[in-house]
Amino acid sequence: MRMATTPTTQIQRCQTRYFGSLEYDQSSVLEFPEGLPAFERERRFLMLRQPRNEPLAFLQSVDTQSLCFVTLPAQAACPGFRLTLSPEDLEALGLEAGHQPSLGRDVLCLAILSFEENTPPTANLLAPIVINLRTLRARQALQTDSRYSVREPLPLREAACS
Amino acid sequence: MRRRAGESILIGDDIEIQIMHIGESRIKIGITAPKTVPVTLKEMKLVGQENLAAARMRSVAALRHMLEHLIDSAADGQK
Repeated sequence: MRMATTPTTQIQRCQTRYFGSLEYDQSSVLEFPEGLPAFERERRFLMLRQPRNEPLAFLQSVDTQSLCFVTLPAQAACPGFRLTLSPEDLEALGLEAGHQPSLGRDVLCLAILSFEENTPPTANLLAPIVINLRTLRARQALQTDSRYSVREPLPLREAACS
Repeated sequence: MRRRAGESILIGDDIEIQIMHIGESRIKIGITAPKTVPVTLKEMKLVGQENLAAARMRSVAALRHMLEHLIDSAADGQK
């Protein structure tokens, strides 16, 4: 289990949905100032990764043990994926106005996965989670001009990504 | 209801929708509403429903089974 750490450590403990009880550094918590749609009160998440589940990333709520989203980097779900943030999203994330951030350098972009019985897993590429890597402020950012839906089948058809 | 750029629509006493700019394929609107009234894009409702579905994951065993399937197929795709 890997988590971002900084020199100032403030270790806390969190009960997780899939990984039992974990210690985490307060400074590694992702802050969602407005929560997520339908989960407006969930403001703090941990991003958990395991080598054996790469490239998956688990977004575990710090305050609600039972809430853990399974996500995939948007570009892993769809190699041609391009993120477009609205002026409102840029401001809310504390990013420079009028300038689209670089994926992987400025921001991390994760698609939430959905698993239904008897159907392939799907990825929400219409509204990926965007994390400002410098501040760890995060937000679910609707892609208004996107051709993607909230349920893109995985693995994605190449045609849909080109 | 027909409006030009710069004109407004009132809903009740304290909600105003103003047409700010009309472009070729999109319009810019300004909304003034009390803080208690959430103003969101309609698609966000769909996103909320999808978040609820994604959070409704079954057991850890079921998750593991599906993850193995997903990772296997991702590995196949890279061959």
